[in-house]
Amino acid sequence: MDNLHMDALVVGGGIAGMQSALDLADQGFQVALVEREASIGGRMITLSKVFPTLDCCSCITTPKMSAVTHHPNIHLFTYCEVQSVQEHGAGFDISILQKPRYVDVSKCTGCRDCEYECPITVPNPFDRNLGAYRAIRVPFSTAVPQKAVLDPEYCLWCGKCEQRCPVDAIDFSQQPETFNIEANSIIMATGFDLTPIETKKEYGGGKLHNVIDPLMMERFLAPTGPYGRVLRPGDGKEPGSIAYVQCAGSRDDTLGITYCSRVCCMYAIKQAMLLNGALPLADITIYYMDIRTFGKGYEQFYQNAKAMGVEFVRGKVANINEDADHNPIVKVEMTDTGEIVERTHDLVVLSQGIVPASRPTVSLPLGSDGFISVPSPDSAPCVTKRPGIFVTGTAASPMDIVDSIVSASAAAAEASAYIRENNGRLEVQKEALYV
Amino acid sequence: MTTTQTLSRAELLKQLRTTHAESVKRAQELLKEQKKMQQELCAVFREKARTVPEAAESTGIPANKVLWFVAAMKKYGVVVEAGMCGDYPLYKKAEEEA
Ligand SMILES: Cc1cc2nc3c(=O)[nH]c(=O)nc-3n(C[C@H](O)[C@H](O)[C@H](O)COP(=O)(O)OP(=O)(O)OC[C@H]3O[C@@H](n4cnc5c(N)ncnc54)[C@H](O)[C@@H]3O)c2cc1C
Ligand code: SF4
Ligand code: SF4
Repeated sequence: MDNLHMDALVVGGGIAGMQSALDLADQGFQVALVEREASIGGRMITLSKVFPTLDCCSCITTPKMSAVTHHPNIHLFTYCEVQSVQEHGAGFDISILQKPRYVDVSKCTGCRDCEYECPITVPNPFDRNLGAYRAIRVPFSTAVPQKAVLDPEYCLWCGKCEQRCPVDAIDFSQQPETFNIEANSIIMATGFDLTPIETKKEYGGGKLHNVIDPLMMERFLAPTGPYGRVLRPGDGKEPGSIAYVQCAGSRDDTLGITYCSRVCCMYAIKQAMLLNGALPLADITIYYMDIRTFGKGYEQFYQNAKAMGVEFVRGKVANINEDADHNPIVKVEMTDTGEIVERTHDLVVLSQGIVPASRPTVSLPLGSDGFISVPSPDSAPCVTKRPGIFVTGTAASPMDIVDSIVSASAAAAEASAYIRENNGRLEVQKEALYV
Repeated sequence: MTTTQTLSRAELLKQLRTTHAESVKRAQELLKEQKKMQQELCAVFREKARTVPEAAESTGIPANKVLWFVAAMKKYGVVVEAGMCGDYPLYKKAEEEA
């Protein structure tokens, strides 16, 4: 592939990266969007509903994903990784690795015949490994692009998928390929991970089957989830008593994560309300230090949850063990009385915090919190220490979807100004300004 | 596909199996285990509708693993839900084509 010349490179195709790419593309800039997974959508496409409106997440995210692929000024590169970035005048030379899909995307129709034919069943990370798919699969039902991808880690190279494919799309001869993009600016939108559950040994360290992470609960609550209903992963029981442990990995000196992750109170309240609808007879308890509902409509959302009967218990959870039936036992120190209480639940959700996702080889200084450093967070929250490189969404700091979208538009505006100031090469298509 | 093409594809697959020898070995072991479990689970779900703990007890497979398989088998149409028994959904083998 020849060198591609772009006005901007966006790294990461979650909600923030997609929004930045769309904003720049709408202004007539040529944008390359590079996503390491086989589909764009990021975390948001895995969520059930969004706080505080309880709108369906897929219904909001899918049209954005579709807009990205259909935009004439966006060049989408999925299943790709940034290998290196070199400064080049006011712009950058970026080397990108295209991982082999072993599928010719120009032929694949997304019919999934290969997936049904493949003999080996493997854990599906889209469902936090609680669901399954095959070594070759279309990543999920609304994936963009809707194309199959083969995982060489699990493949037996038996060729059954190839024989089954009606359009001869399987291509076992594919190799990793490197190509270069010259871009005038870069937007980092690499998103977040959860604080690792293994580090919370006192909460089971990930070994208790009925103590789960909050993204698992999002999948249980989504119509396309692994069980098609809310069940506990230990034995398939419909839980009658569910507890949330707040700040499980945030505001925690022992983990070196001293900040508040901003979204956990709200997602726990949201999930509690959705559980109330899905399992009307279940008791739902939220153990918290203090509830932080900072956004528009958020406090009302919290009050609504209380009115629905969600129990909010102010206390610090010391540890979680399990009984002989694998029911989690939560030991909690009540803040108001100092009393130590043990309570047994069917299922516990740890409200894990937000940490930066692993980043590509763009050497950018980090802040003490591990997120990409922003020298003037009050006045220029998307401007990094490297001129021409901007940061958006949860790559910058923990934030919710609304703030990620605002931050994405801000990063696009900064990038747009930078491109205009620094490059003569600005054949901005005027017509595109008015679409 | 022509015979020559078929041959060269077969050679390519053979080559890939050699290049990925380590992961292929792991995958083969996994597949063997999966086939065994799936066979055992299919047998108990063909007999009558069961909950996950019941299927776990009948087969000796841990309940969390049974659930994982049940989720996979449900996704690919091998088992279906068949109502509830207390707090647990029941699963049975999907109708087999004649
Ligand atoms: C359990 C839970 C529930 C939530 N519920 C809500 C809610 O109801 N409402 C709300 O407003 N917010 C909610 N949030 C927060 C919301 O998920 C985030 O605000 C939002 O997803 C952030 O989007 P993002 O684009 O910054 O990051 P991400 O969604 O993480 O996207 C980052 C993208 O970058 C890609 N990427 C990462 N590294 C690389 C790389 N090196 N190269 C290329 N690509 C890369 C990733 O694969 C991913 O696609 C919730 C969060 C959690 C944990
Ligand atoms: S690779 Fe072939 S069989 Fe698989 S989804 Fe694509 S077109 Fe269908
Ligand atoms: S070649 Fe690999 S992906 Fe294709 S059917 Fe066999 S195991 Fe599955």
